[in-house]
Amino acid sequence: MKLAVTVWGNRISPVFDAASTLLVAEISDKKISRHYYTDFDPESPVDLIHTLKKHHVNILVCGAISKTPASLILDQHIHLISFVTGNARQFLDSFALARTVEKKNRMPGFKQSCMNVY
Amino acid sequence: MIDPKKISGPLTQETTQIILECISDGVFTIDYNWEITSFNRAAEEITGISRKEAIGRHCWEVFRSNMCEAECALKKTMEEGKPYVSTSAYIIDSNQKKIPISVSTSLLIDKHGEVLGGVEIFRDHSLVEALRKQLSASFHVEDIVSNSNAMKKIFTILPQISQSDATVLIEGETGTGKELMARAIHNMGPRKDKPFMAINCGALPDTLLESELFGYKKGAFTHAVKDKPGKFALARGGTVFLDEIGDTSPAFQVSLLRVLQEHEYTPLGGVEKEETDVRIIAATNRDLSELMEADQFRQDLYYRVNVVKLFLPPLRQRMEDVPLLVERFVSKLNLRQGKFIQGIDHAVLASLMSHTFPGNIRELENIIEHAFVLCQEGIISCEHLPGFLVQKKQTPCQAPVDDPVKAAQINLISDALARNNYNRNAAAKDLGIHKSTLFRRIKKLGIKL
Repeated sequence: MKLAVTVWGNRISPVFDAASTLLVAEISDKKISRHYYTDFDPESPVDLIHTLKKHHVNILVCGAISKTPASLILDQHIHLISFVTGNARQFLDSFALARTVEKKNRMPGFKQSCMNVY
Repeated sequence: MIDPKKISGPLTQETTQIILECISDGVFTIDYNWEITSFNRAAEEITGISRKEAIGRHCWEVFRSNMCEAECALKKTMEEGKPYVSTSAYIIDSNQKKIPISVSTSLLIDKHGEVLGGVEIFRDHSLVEALRKQLSASFHVEDIVSNSNAMKKIFTILPQISQSDATVLIEGETGTGKELMARAIHNMGPRKDKPFMAINCGALPDTLLESELFGYKKGAFTHAVKDKPGKFALARGGTVFLDEIGDTSPAFQVSLLRVLQEHEYTPLGGVEKEETDVRIIAATNRDLSELMEADQFRQDLYYRVNVVKLFLPPLRQRMEDVPLLVERFVSKLNLRQGKFIQGIDHAVLASLMSHTFPGNIRELENIIEHAFVLCQEGIISCEHLPGFLVQKKQTPCQAPVDDPVKAAQINLISDALARNNYNRNAAAKDLGIHKSTLFRRIKKLGIKL
């Protein structure tokens, strides 16, 4: 399984629509087996989708996201976990283990529907 | 009665709290850990986050503005110690709605002058943004985009034309979007849920055209083995678009006139008349009044068709639309071909702006489609353009140009002058500008005649 997280330094980007860096991580045996960073154009969700497809990403994790890019991503059959906050690496470690978003990683306004996986 | 003592003198903390709760601007304060320490009622309403949820959280988790990462106004205020007033930004509320806002920030200082943190004040600009969008919508009707004055005039009257049932004549050179305009009139009118049937009258011989429009009965001719309804019957309640009406024969014009006058027709091989309930929109790339004067178009049909006339200007007279149209075609082709082309570079724009587009918008669309074949990703550059654009003398793609806009203007005016045998009045008319404007530009750009 491959995840991508929009990041701001070592944190998850607060706003997807203004993010420009992706942390791509591969999960196997409940651990992060490989990770790397890549850039994308925040003005173009289409560019992001292109990048996600190129890197074979199944799940995108981000902070707050507006409706238009969210539906574009979902239309491409990429799972979206939004309104997530906190340290990106720590989140990935906990997600790899438990496949859920812990309470401390939930932004105010996080709903169950923000976790559009499985 | 209000006790005057209670409203005079320095404001108490309680009074300040009441004022903060009453104002329509969102206000929150943070401490040195970037954690929210207060959050007023308007802030709750604008962000969709309750005070209870907000207090104690990092400001970026609650405020969620596009400024948070790179240009945080509060960070600048905290670092530089000076306030920032009215910076435009947007936030994303808990319903995933993008809300345009203006932001002002300042330091939070207590009565002893000690800095406690920062204050952020933000105003919801959704209404202003909605009005701005409404204004820009005047450049966009259905599938037609334009920023030119001539087209804006058409956009203004289009709703009234669409609501009426009057016959419309659309004149304009080939490729100016006559069918798109006809579809827009249909889609905006009361017949929008009924069919829109288009037929190119210039492409078919009379008998075929009549059978297409009026249909035929079984046995009308050798292969007519069963009844076939024509476009007038199929479009019942809708619109029939007759393209290139100026290219029809006098005999067909008589048949059409009868339909327009009597609202009935007889299918080929039939004996009984059938009633029509369609709106007619006709179009031509020729000047019908000139054809009428030359006895090539019936006068009575001309007046029947020409109830409301729209003239679509050629693209060379509305070159300001080129960037808008390019953007539209790039988005359309990206969707259709599953590509991610981001747009065109400056040299391509300058090259397009210096072209005269004899094929009008259709030609521009074809040029972009050609570029899409050669350009796999990124931005369309000159190497992706068709040869005839690149090989043109003095095109900005070939010659190094300091100011592509100036080069495009020079090319546009020079081409118009050459097209009109260097008659400046005719060139000004061709460009859709006043002759004195053309003279001024020739002088300013240093064009030698």
